[in-house]
Amino acid sequence: MTKLVLAAAALAILASGSAMAAYPERPVKVIVPWAAGGDTDNIFRPFVLPLQKALGQTVVIANIGGASGTVGAREAKNSPPDGYTLYVVHDYIHLTYYTGVADVNYSDFEPICSVSSTPSVLTASAKTKWKSLKELIDDAKANPGTVSVGATLGSTSHFFPALIEKAANVKFKYVSYDGLAQRMNAILGGHIDLTDGNLTQKGKVDAGQLRFLAIATEKRAPELPDVPTLKESGYDIEYAVTRGLLAPKGTPDDILGKLDMACSEAVKDPAFAASMKAQGTDVKYLGRKEYGEFLRKNDEINKSMAKELGLLKR
Amino acid sequence: MFEQLGTAILDLLQLKFLVPLVIGTFVGVVGGALPGVTITMTIIVVLPFTFGLDPLQGLAAMTGVYVGGSAGGLVTAVLLGIPGTPSAIATTFDGYTMRRNGEPGRALWLGIWASCFGGLLGGVFLIATTGPLAAIALEFGPWEFFALFIFALSMVVGLTEDSLLKGLLAGTFGLLVTTFGSDPIMSVPRFTFGTEFLRGGFDFLPVLIGIFAFAQIMTELEKMHGGSGSGGARAATPNLKIAQLKVIGEILARPVLLLWSTAVGLLIGVLPAIGGSAASVMAYDQAKKISRRPERFGTGIPEGIIASESSNNANVGGSLVTIMAFGIPGDAVTAVMLGAMTIHGIQSGPLFMVQEAKLAYGIFAAYLLAHPIMIIVMALGARFFLRVVTVPKSALVPIVLVLCTVGAYALKNTIDNVWVLALFGVFGYALVKLKFPLAPVILGLILGDQIEVNLVRALMNDPNPLLFVTRPISALLLGLSVASVLFSLWQRRRQAARLAALPETAPDF
Repeated sequence: MTKLVLAAAALAILASGSAMAAYPERPVKVIVPWAAGGDTDNIFRPFVLPLQKALGQTVVIANIGGASGTVGAREAKNSPPDGYTLYVVHDYIHLTYYTGVADVNYSDFEPICSVSSTPSVLTASAKTKWKSLKELIDDAKANPGTVSVGATLGSTSHFFPALIEKAANVKFKYVSYDGLAQRMNAILGGHIDLTDGNLTQKGKVDAGQLRFLAIATEKRAPELPDVPTLKESGYDIEYAVTRGLLAPKGTPDDILGKLDMACSEAVKDPAFAASMKAQGTDVKYLGRKEYGEFLRKNDEINKSMAKELGLLKR
Repeated sequence: MFEQLGTAILDLLQLKFLVPLVIGTFVGVVGGALPGVTITMTIIVVLPFTFGLDPLQGLAAMTGVYVGGSAGGLVTAVLLGIPGTPSAIATTFDGYTMRRNGEPGRALWLGIWASCFGGLLGGVFLIATTGPLAAIALEFGPWEFFALFIFALSMVVGLTEDSLLKGLLAGTFGLLVTTFGSDPIMSVPRFTFGTEFLRGGFDFLPVLIGIFAFAQIMTELEKMHGGSGSGGARAATPNLKIAQLKVIGEILARPVLLLWSTAVGLLIGVLPAIGGSAASVMAYDQAKKISRRPERFGTGIPEGIIASESSNNANVGGSLVTIMAFGIPGDAVTAVMLGAMTIHGIQSGPLFMVQEAKLAYGIFAAYLLAHPIMIIVMALGARFFLRVVTVPKSALVPIVLVLCTVGAYALKNTIDNVWVLALFGVFGYALVKLKFPLAPVILGLILGDQIEVNLVRALMNDPNPLLFVTRPISALLLGLSVASVLFSLWQRRRQAARLAALPETAPDF
């Protein structure tokens, strides 16, 4: 017992070494605002390995989940802007802000780089009768408000079906299920009819337990040649979740530059690329400037989407 | 099937798989024994190492952590009266009492062997029935989950020694604590008093350590101050000798208890989002209900330890079922394991057992082998663990306090959680003084969010509240909840009649 106390104390001292020397001279913490084992966590765990090689310093992932990812967002916002706390985001940061779930927005941070892009696939339970997107839409038109959609309310999995709802002029019923794992559980049991899925669920589709109705990409995905795009079905919708790294506002310029450099090297790592392919995700690197521009545009798009869908609370 | 399993076990005995498995089990035991370090945290520490390994090596290490951690929690529970992991909560009820009665070795090894038997029995069952069990779990919609959690709470309320009313109140306290912070559906802040910190709600771990550890330490202090004569004398001559065969015999002489607790653990494991803490408390309650002498529970009897420990290890087996059958994580630990598979590009899902047979049976084999390895790790460590008992309380109490505080701080690296620890320490101590049971508080804490989320989900899906009593599984579970409360009333009355003449001292927990 005493030994353990000593070890814990030694660790604490190691972790709190003083700053000031050349960055990075102590481990860098990356806040993932969702649980370990989720989509975002699965993308960033293989990413931090080449990242720490490029940075020459340990990078630790801290999973701070809760309330649609907004607990981790607040924690990141309140962290010191010294480059030792970074924060992983995707489009939810805009959405939770405009739907009034959180008061943190992308502009509270400095962009570093984007890393990946995961296209959405409209996924139906095998317990439903729809074999195609058309059958679903026809059914939804005939019985408005009966098709249930599992979603993290106010986040991307809520917006993607909402875009279809609007384009096809139908009405869905939303049920709150935070995170893909919970939604998969419910959809396999037939407790919800539809959800926003992605290519990682291909195994369940092959087993006949789920159906991919349409993919929200410009062209069909090579892994899913039989799944039509929403565009070819007559709905002008492209939807993908872009994930990237941010740092708290006020982080020094040279540190951001160093991080971006490391990021641009890390995305080229073949093991990372292989892992992204296995997860149905594209590597999508944008540097500081480009990612900042992307976020700004994306923010406007999300704001107008929220407004059009009647979810805007600001 | 068992042929494939045999091959897998032989495969796993190769050094390249055995080494990660042994290391994982060892790390798991240590992480499990440290209060404030959960199995999930331990497995996340192991995760990065598994990227460079072959998938089965990584999963073997993680399975070892899971099994070792579920058993490791009992060490702290028995020796210090603080659950090392939440899943060892019910082990403190009789385990710590038995240690105070001067039999720490017996208590420790009862727990270790019960973990092993429960885990192995659960494992065999797991391998034989993965499919059908998981299919039942899928039938659970929000209505059924809501009813199940109510049932769990009602069972534990029945544990109360003093009065049913205090049990019910204690459960309500637990539920109320979970309403602090942002609501789990739309993040509407509740009871945050405008503070940033409370928007995230209270973290479970500091609350748990506060209520259990602090209350435990305070009662220790009272005893030191008061009658150091009798208490000191008892602590000075603890029986450290362990008759292994006798302990094993004690467990095997209670086959119904062992099987029943294992079954409870498995079932809770298969159902997502509940976990070992509920399994241990529910199995303890079940054991008390089927016992002919329920009044002896809490006085340091082997039944209490066996029920809690066999069920929390069987729970591990149950959680693995859902991964195997559906590629859905049953709890936070299996979510990390699933993440590791995804990173390696392994498609999880119903075809997993067919497409990745080698890996699937490898995980089964790792699970089965982790149990004997856990026994060896424990046997080597037990000598050191048991010395804790001989450490004078004046030295031990501050050390435990420091460990708990470090654990609470380390969770999110914030001092706020240390205040939470202090706050709930005082709260827990007050509850103990007022003779409120702690188990319902804890279960209320564990289940509060889930009860709320599933209630809201059910009503979002269909606003008709009658569905709770017209859907068969949900109706059955709610009916059982009522029956459970009535049963404990009846049992209490019968006990009162029988023990009318005998004077009895109520235990603290």
